[in-house]
Amino acid sequence: MEYFEPRSVSEALSVLARHGAEAKIIAGGTDVMVDIKFKEEPGGLVNIKKIPGLNGISENGAGLRIGSLTTIREIETSALVREKLPVLWEAAHQFASLQVRNTATIGGNICRASPSGETLGPLLVLDAKAKLAFGDGEKTVPFTAFFQGPGKCSAGTNGLLIQIEIPYPPAGSKSVYLKHAVRGAMDIAMVGVAVLMTPDSSKNNIQDVRIGLAAVAPTPVRAAKTEALLRGKPLSPSLLREAAVLAASESSPISDQRSSAEYRHWIVEALTRKGLEQTWQAATGKEIA
Amino acid sequence: MSITINTKINGSSVTATADASTSLLEFLRDTLEMKGSKLCCNTGECGACTVIYNGKPINSCVTMAADANGAEITTIEGLANGDKLHPVQQAFIDTGAVQCGYCTPGFIMSVKALLDRTRNPTPQDIEEAISGNICRCTGYNKIVDAIELAAQKL
Repeated sequence: MEYFEPRSVSEALSVLARHGAEAKIIAGGTDVMVDIKFKEEPGGLVNIKKIPGLNGISENGAGLRIGSLTTIREIETSALVREKLPVLWEAAHQFASLQVRNTATIGGNICRASPSGETLGPLLVLDAKAKLAFGDGEKTVPFTAFFQGPGKCSAGTNGLLIQIEIPYPPAGSKSVYLKHAVRGAMDIAMVGVAVLMTPDSSKNNIQDVRIGLAAVAPTPVRAAKTEALLRGKPLSPSLLREAAVLAASESSPISDQRSSAEYRHWIVEALTRKGLEQTWQAATGKEIA
Repeated sequence: MSITINTKINGSSVTATADASTSLLEFLRDTLEMKGSKLCCNTGECGACTVIYNGKPINSCVTMAADANGAEITTIEGLANGDKLHPVQQAFIDTGAVQCGYCTPGFIMSVKALLDRTRNPTPQDIEEAISGNICRCTGYNKIVDAIELAAQKL
């Protein structure tokens, strides 16, 4: 197996141009090392951790920039993330175990493109974007268009995710990330639901709502029809029921060792209802009536 | 492809070679013959292989040996001072926090890292610190007792 340790983005891109088809990018290693041992050894490893400038969290106007090599623990312990992007903080806090959070990177969690990736539902509802480097220049891709299937994303085999750009959510909005799993630690979500709700200025209606569903489709997805149904309306008990059922119908889960597709449908419905209730109450200070 | 690794383990400089696909755990156990860190799930889920890497607890089974290059690593072998056990090790003995013992080195490294971060851990800090370590004898209460005792003694 060949091994590369590029010291710059351009060096990494030239390695990927030559070896991207058979080599794998590795950062924290918490996924790739398991693949090496239990699946197939790739033709090569491109260790990107020595590339300077891909680390860290910084404020950029009305949002945060997070370098792709930033660890999940760095996100979890960032006061900026906790204050400004609580839905991302929640996902980082629930992520695997302390040991894994200390090494796993957000770029790895994203480029793994697992339907159940812990940070992906939150990134979808935050309208975050991926900044990718290619041989012919940089591209910025919203996460709603980034995931192409399990393990497949816009970076392809010759691109490198260098940064995540996350605009601050609208003023007055509230968000929640709900994960359904058996254990508290080290468990992969059977279903993950992220909700970000913005009430109108009267706090009587939903001005905007974004719902991200994880582990229930080939990629993490936004429940666009459910969002459209809710927009501009007050959250009544009947609308809440209707929205939760619609969100479940927008999911297309599979059955696997963690749960059946039928069960996942029920959980999408239940978590969507809970997420909408919680964000409505937090954002408007009102009960659902 | 073989790579040369220059690292510092338990305060001593070490130079050795390893294949690029080698994990840090395999490097410690098989190349350096340091068998204290345990191989168990080999997927980063059980914590038996926990070592302290640049001050942070990590699963050495899913870390590349190549990443040891330039790093400072503490393993269970580095805790005792001659015949005198580290207070965390002694606390595990004094409270009977060891049953089969296989998970113990990993737990002790997680606890060492916790007490390096804070000398007064809250119950939440303790829960977080050992949430990535699994004891299948399920003797967690004694382990929590050991952590509290070690925190007092340090």
